[in-house]
Amino acid sequence: MRPSRRSFLKGALLAGTAAALPHPALGREEKEPEPEAVGMLYDSTLCLGCGGCVAACKESNSLPYEGEPKELDCTAKNVVKTRHLSKPAADGATQAFVKRQCMHCVDPSCVSVCMLGALHKEGEGKRDSGGERRGTGIVLWDKELCLGCRYCQIACAYSIPKFEWKKAVPRIVKCELCRHRAVEGASGPQRVANPACCEVCPTGAVIYGRRADLLAEARRRRAGDPARYDAKIFGETDAGGTQVLYLAAAGVSFRDLGFPTMPPKAPAHLSETVSHAPYLHGLTPIALYAAAAAIIRRNRRKADEHARRSKDPR
Amino acid sequence: MSAHLRPRPIGGPLLDRAMITLLALFGIAEGVITWRFIAGIGAVSNMNDGYAWGIWEPVNVVVFTGIGAGAYSVGLLCYLLNRGQYHPLVRPAVLLGAISYSLGGASIIVALGRPWNMFWLALPPMWNLSSVLLEVAVCVIAYVLVLWVEMLPAVLDGAAESPSPIRSAWGKRWGARLARAMPYIIALAMLLPTMHQSSLGGLMIVAGPKLHPLWHTPLLPLLALVSCLSMGLGAVVVLTALMRHAWNAKHDHDLLVDVCRVNGGLLILFAGLRFADLASSGKLELLTVPDFFLIFFVLEMALFLVPAFMFLTRRVEDQRVRVLGGALAVLSGALWRVDAFLTCYNAGESFRYWPSWGEISVTVGMVAIGVALFITVSRLLPVVVVQDTPVPASLAAFVLSGMPRRDRAEPGKKGRSVEPTG
Repeated sequence: MRPSRRSFLKGALLAGTAAALPHPALGREEKEPEPEAVGMLYDSTLCLGCGGCVAACKESNSLPYEGEPKELDCTAKNVVKTRHLSKPAADGATQAFVKRQCMHCVDPSCVSVCMLGALHKEGEGKRDSGGERRGTGIVLWDKELCLGCRYCQIACAYSIPKFEWKKAVPRIVKCELCRHRAVEGASGPQRVANPACCEVCPTGAVIYGRRADLLAEARRRRAGDPARYDAKIFGETDAGGTQVLYLAAAGVSFRDLGFPTMPPKAPAHLSETVSHAPYLHGLTPIALYAAAAAIIRRNRRKADEHARRSKDPR
Repeated sequence: MSAHLRPRPIGGPLLDRAMITLLALFGIAEGVITWRFIAGIGAVSNMNDGYAWGIWEPVNVVVFTGIGAGAYSVGLLCYLLNRGQYHPLVRPAVLLGAISYSLGGASIIVALGRPWNMFWLALPPMWNLSSVLLEVAVCVIAYVLVLWVEMLPAVLDGAAESPSPIRSAWGKRWGARLARAMPYIIALAMLLPTMHQSSLGGLMIVAGPKLHPLWHTPLLPLLALVSCLSMGLGAVVVLTALMRHAWNAKHDHDLLVDVCRVNGGLLILFAGLRFADLASSGKLELLTVPDFFLIFFVLEMALFLVPAFMFLTRRVEDQRVRVLGGALAVLSGALWRVDAFLTCYNAGESFRYWPSWGEISVTVGMVAIGVALFITVSRLLPVVVVQDTPVPASLAAFVLSGMPRRDRAEPGKKGRSVEPTG
């Protein structure tokens, strides 16, 4: 009996060690944007605040339109806000428009925290919810895998995912970049998605394309008219980067536009590193279990012997 | 172990006035829960897209399981540090844990928007191993099972001492078998809380941009682990005093003093870790900003340090001090947990939250049914070590227990002085 238990413990330890060996790095690697990742570029200086994108979004996503929404909610995946500035912009403006929707982060918190990967990057989930292509970086929601735990809402620094609070069968609602409007047979980014907001925008304040091209375009605009633009392109590097990029007018802080101050690395990076490192790829739990079982068994045997000895004299 | 140290069923009426009150409170919660499944979570709660967990997750899960960690902390003392004298505390602590964790789990199911998709959790290839909540969910489900298996010896002992020879033989046979497997189950009961209690703290690391920097730290998992030990030991001390008061349960003065001293150390450790972490990450200057958050920080620290000083001085000899200190230890951990999950979490300028009566009634109902379960199980099964004199039985106990027992039918007659079986 005893040798078999001991060999079990040994085996468990060996298995744990073996599992730990092939992965030398404990911290999780930082994620880079996929070369073919798609996204949007929103230029606040071009936006008229007409709300055409909001109406087009609702229509394309079959969401009810009951007046212009002020905030994102479970019937608004896209919203244009008028922000009052704490200090006037360089051109004297005291307010600015900002369009808000899912940022399609390079390293999204919602994807990191989703228990079964209901929220996942297209083509990188636990299952294909239908026609998914890898490499677009679009963050999708798969209703079959969602438990409705709402950890995505807690985790998302931009508070993007919305929940249908008044429904018995609720869904998570957020922008999926109009992947369902992809143009079949098109070449280029239209092949994978075709956001209605970008299609309808009369001034080109929001455009759709490959993230790499959009970033180049943003830099080109900024370099072409440095007096017009704030030096920062939001989403270029913030929290590991986002696939939706933002340009603001000179003198307008992104804080005033309602963006959180993000750490340089993705929150998911810190969370996964801290949570996974102590596990040593599964070695720690196995070792702890083996040690606990061994100690408890030894203590039990000692107690039994003690009890027997104290009984014997009787 | 001598016979007087063995746990016995308390007996007594199953349906007294207190029980009816508890069941009524649970009934209200059941009504709210029913409506929630018909009309949606928003119909009964003030939860919103900013405060998506309301109080159900921070209180019903994070605080309940902290209290339930009494099973873990007493188990660590008793089995790993080989302090056999803690044995009388183990069964009540395990029952407390089993009930708290089960209710935490039940609350999760009520709070989940799409609970029918839970079946996927049974398929490990579908797990997103990056998700801290997945680790918590799987680990808590496993631990709830382990806790109830840990309660099985009480059921089997109860059967072994049954007057029916068949039941008795069955109880003895399976009791002996379970006793052999127990070290491996107990080891699991030590491992799983270590994992999920630290992960519970780790849940909020990803919410860094929304959580106040005084609470957001990579040390959250370690702090949560220390806090669950302290909350658990505090809860067990309070529980022991309550059981002594209500049922004349055995009350080992020296043992409880020891428990409280250990807890004093844990409370100091928690406060020390927090300050060291704030100092090392250059956040101490935040303590000079007089705002809403500072009030909660100071309140937390007071709640950690006051019981620590009570426990580490000679006052600990006084039972009232121990009970008050234990309650404060539970409260301190609970406040820190609720602060990190709710109070000091800022979803953004457009969100406000205060719990609705519906949410509060579910939380209260869960506590009520927990207390009711604890009382009922203790009345029916050998969980609590009683001082001596048997408790009078009642007709209700006889009817509801479903198994007639001589000592219940004939109050005053001493029952169950059976020798240890295994």
